[in-house]
Amino acid sequence: MTANKYSVLNTRVHNVDGYAKVTGRATYTFDVKLPGMLYGKILRSPHPHARIISIDPTEALKLPGVRAVVTGKDTLGVKQGIWRRYPELCDEQILTIEKVRYIGEPVAAVAAITEEIAEQALDLIDVQYEVLPFVDDPMEAIKKEAPMIHEGVERNVNVTRHIEWGDVEEAFEEAEYVREDWFKLGGQAHMCMETRATVASYTSDKKLTVYTSTQSPYYHQALLAGVLGLRESDIRVIAHYVGGGFGGKFELDASQFCASVLSMKLSKPVKIVFTREEDFIATKRRTPMYYYVRTGVKKDGTFCARETRVFTNGGAYTGMGATALYLTGFFHSFPYKWKAYRYDGYRVYTNSLPSSSMRGFGAPQAMFCSEQQIDWIAADLGLDIIEIRRKNAHTTGYEVPGQATIGSCGLNQCLDRIEQWIKAKGTLPKNRAIGISAAGFMTGGIFNWFDSPYSFSSAVVTINYDGVVELHVGAQDIGQGSNTTLAMICAEALGVKLENIKVHSGDTDHCPADLGAWGSRQTLMAGNATKMAAEDAKKQLLEFASAKFGYNIIYDLDIKDNWVHNVARPERGMNYVDLVKEALRGKDGQRIIGRGHYTPHRKGMISPAYSYMVQAVEAEIDVETGKLSIINCTTAHDCGQPINTLGLIGQLEGAASMAAGYGYLENMPVEDGKVMNPNLVDYKIIRAPDMPECEIIEIDTYEPEGPYGAKEAGEGLTNPTAAALGNAIFHATGLQMKQAPIMSEMIVNAFKEKKKEGGTR
Amino acid sequence: MEKQLLRFLVNDQEYELFINPKTLLVEALRDHLGFAGAKRGCDTASCGVCTVMVNGMAVKGCSVLAVQVNGMNITTVEGLEKDGKLDPVQAAFLDEGAFQCGFCTSGMIMSARAFLNETPAPKDTMEIRRGIEGNLCRCTGYNSIVRAIDAVAKGKYREGA
Amino acid sequence: MIHDFTYLRPGNVKEALAMLAQHRDGAKIICGGQSLLIIMRQGLVVTEYLVDIKGLDELNCLIYDSRAGLKIGATTTHRTIEKSRLVKEKYPVLVAMEEKLASIQVRNWGTIGGNLAHADAAGDPAPVLIALNATVTIASSAGGRSVPLEEFYPGLFETVLSPDELVTEVLVPPPPAHTATVYQKFNLLESDQGIVAVAVSLSVSDAGICQDARIVLGNAAPIPIRAKNTEKLLIGNKLNEEIFTKAGETAGEEADPVADIHASEDYRRHLIAVLTRRMTKEAWEQACQV
Repeated sequence: MTANKYSVLNTRVHNVDGYAKVTGRATYTFDVKLPGMLYGKILRSPHPHARIISIDPTEALKLPGVRAVVTGKDTLGVKQGIWRRYPELCDEQILTIEKVRYIGEPVAAVAAITEEIAEQALDLIDVQYEVLPFVDDPMEAIKKEAPMIHEGVERNVNVTRHIEWGDVEEAFEEAEYVREDWFKLGGQAHMCMETRATVASYTSDKKLTVYTSTQSPYYHQALLAGVLGLRESDIRVIAHYVGGGFGGKFELDASQFCASVLSMKLSKPVKIVFTREEDFIATKRRTPMYYYVRTGVKKDGTFCARETRVFTNGGAYTGMGATALYLTGFFHSFPYKWKAYRYDGYRVYTNSLPSSSMRGFGAPQAMFCSEQQIDWIAADLGLDIIEIRRKNAHTTGYEVPGQATIGSCGLNQCLDRIEQWIKAKGTLPKNRAIGISAAGFMTGGIFNWFDSPYSFSSAVVTINYDGVVELHVGAQDIGQGSNTTLAMICAEALGVKLENIKVHSGDTDHCPADLGAWGSRQTLMAGNATKMAAEDAKKQLLEFASAKFGYNIIYDLDIKDNWVHNVARPERGMNYVDLVKEALRGKDGQRIIGRGHYTPHRKGMISPAYSYMVQAVEAEIDVETGKLSIINCTTAHDCGQPINTLGLIGQLEGAASMAAGYGYLENMPVEDGKVMNPNLVDYKIIRAPDMPECEIIEIDTYEPEGPYGAKEAGEGLTNPTAAALGNAIFHATGLQMKQAPIMSEMIVNAFKEKKKEGGTR
Repeated sequence: MEKQLLRFLVNDQEYELFINPKTLLVEALRDHLGFAGAKRGCDTASCGVCTVMVNGMAVKGCSVLAVQVNGMNITTVEGLEKDGKLDPVQAAFLDEGAFQCGFCTSGMIMSARAFLNETPAPKDTMEIRRGIEGNLCRCTGYNSIVRAIDAVAKGKYREGA
Repeated sequence: MIHDFTYLRPGNVKEALAMLAQHRDGAKIICGGQSLLIIMRQGLVVTEYLVDIKGLDELNCLIYDSRAGLKIGATTTHRTIEKSRLVKEKYPVLVAMEEKLASIQVRNWGTIGGNLAHADAAGDPAPVLIALNATVTIASSAGGRSVPLEEFYPGLFETVLSPDELVTEVLVPPPPAHTATVYQKFNLLESDQGIVAVAVSLSVSDAGICQDARIVLGNAAPIPIRAKNTEKLLIGNKLNEEIFTKAGETAGEEADPVADIHASEDYRRHLIAVLTRRMTKEAWEQACQV
């Protein structure tokens, strides 16, 4: 291990929110109680597709304790969406007025003095529906004769995306081997431990305070302003602690909207907490997809061309689904150099719960298809699985034509290390094999479909008289540890100890706007903003120190570990806190304030930087029952310069657990538009005994665009696991599993199929 | 419905409540007494975020009627820190980064504490894993939690260690 | 949302029985409540009176007698059974089954009587106890009776209990000589309920012949069922791979499973066949050694 050149970065530190969390004192939206607070409940559609004829709340309002019932007609009826720049993609009213388009869609909301009374009142609201024909599969919904889900949207095609470079036909001509496969990818629930929850508190001076479980307070402030007709700055969104996000908590949800509408009607605080069932049926999910992949290669394994068509099950509304449609196509080319590549994606509306972003953002689906097909190609051509990847791997400086420039890439080192790891494993027992998958991921999106007028990330550093630094960021800590990471960056940049930093986040009244925690953006974007703010403050301190010390102006001053000093003669200097005290006096008592911001420029279409990884999954297959066990999950990982060591390991292990779930456990069947397992008995989340050991091999790279060379970690590692598991099954049994998650019954059926084929030959 | 008198100890303090008998233990603790460390995450006794100790045993607070613990001794996460000193499990969770969003953490720590009380020297990490099987965590993948519990079992936090 | 009820806490079994006799259909019994509270929350069970027998210590016992066998009081928790050295020594299969029943929290509070009376087809204890030829003792204010556990379940989520009756204990006969009982469930996560489960108890004669066989299939029909055709196949034979395989196939055929989101009917039969073959073999090998 090389010596750490940093004082704070890349060391093991306690999470800055840790004491609150281990003592049970962290207060989540779920815990918020305000004086006079009422409780809200949402009435949801039992039909996948129906016209609302009437809603009669009379009986519900008679129930003692009920304070209000609201329907879509009590709202401004604004069709909203997170793709604010594109009105045609703003298609969701939250409280729908004319039609319901999925089972679970909100049609009315009740506020009452207790949750129980609110729940009883739901049964008393009389809704008359005209049931309409429905369609819940994209391949059906895209047909001419399918029911139209949104007026005027022909064949229910919500969004299309096209990516192309090179001459695809010519490149296929050059190929000596072509293979095509169809795949089917399932949905996945975010399953945050804290369900969607909001306490909205409106006062008659037209100010609204919203405590909510969110990945992006700023988005929710802005989205709520749009649907409620309030000034953005009159809405204060507070999210001090958030019980998980994973991509599911940055679009406007019904708890936020309905609690706010009820609160505005009553001028009382209203709390809405989703039940686990509501969280399963009526939030959003990882996008289910059909994938067609045609790949042409040379006999030596050089990749020539790839052509991909994807049909995604969009569910009833757009949400972040449009982004997932683009990213799945983009990352399907990853992490390889294709001479020519063509992707056509179709996002199709269906009468099922909306699909959207979830950790990995379309990439886990893409890798499941791509990385398995690569192994099958290698097997067909007799090529080594590492070699074929190495031959085509991204390298630093590579330009994905028209899309992205790779500023740093440790993929080849990842392949080397995994190759060594596999070799060291030696021969494995019967029915056990190692599968690998490579992957890459973005470090924050460049796209601004939200049309934010603000910098993507901002930070303010304020230094108090006692040397304590108040770091205000709009970045949101949802458990991934951004508060800690940003505190570390601030401490390092300023040259002070970590205990001098206090982080303030999760409050739009006090923190600068930031797009929030999604797309793996915070370490780089909020990190850069924080570093800039800290450096700004430091510059002010050093200007003062320079004048005070009176050194020759050719000398450089610096601060490290709370010591302000002459770089050439580090023993000469003074304590940082003493300097701050003097500096404040010299500024007429003003606190020192540093400002920082970051918005990516000239970094291509997608992201300023990309992480890379190769994962090896060792799995055992009970060939008779189809049962899978993951024995080990080892990853070589390039995230640039690690910042928060402990947080990094946790993020990578956590990603593996969620991705393993996508690989073989988290089946989310939808029948007749209905989620069949909306509870934690029937929806399987991996538990401690089933979780494999996860070894992390860090690959040392430096990302020029990232703070101190850092880039993404923790989301991208959701991408390879299902694919690597599929490959392990392939190498152990020869089965090609084309559907995720890979359920044990599918394996048994695949064996039967194989036997049948063998018999007829 | 006739309200019931419930007398019990919570974190060594005696409390008396007069409550609807359908009140669950976790509701009594959170809504009536303000011990909000225990959370709720499901309606099917699956997730374990409501775990507290009853007479030293880990139980799910959502699956026990409060009246059933009449006369018993309840420990919640708020009762672990003694004299300004974290319980070794809490300290180990900090040191190992054994939490992320933190929503499962109170319940997880209570399961870990109860497990270690019963099994001070687990024979392997699988035994530890089985000890927290009733607690879901969506963030960490459990391995850091297992390391934290293992560190406590191995004596890292013993006085003088 | 749990509907309101009147809570009754009897001080002893006699009082409990009197309450049941008085309120009959209007009363439900709660013990550990680990399953009951879930279905009450779902509104599937609404009751006027809830009789809480959790605190009846007279039913909280584990007693072993070499002639009568093991008596497990109804309010004995799963965890007590799991941790009992006595049980471990005499009926290791019960400990192994308990170790994989739900979670520690559930086993700490949930009871054997409550589990059996809940009559969930996917419950773990019933198949094992039926394989062990257990009986349940039932009390009412009018008297008592004893019912083989095998006959305790007339249908899905049903028991033979009348509204005024209470399960007070489970009796497991002493294990016959040269007998082994094993249990396995198939699931995706270690302590989940079984997608299917198989319990097998085999006895071997001195001549090395299978003398008795009890094979019980869990979650393979609305209630735990004996695979009697499969048992017949085994009894009187010296067992070998061929018979184990045939036993599996037969069990798969005589099961009566339904499809749900976790498994199709075909897959369930297939799993029953595999598990029955494996468990029969394991029980045979163990029985030959004891």
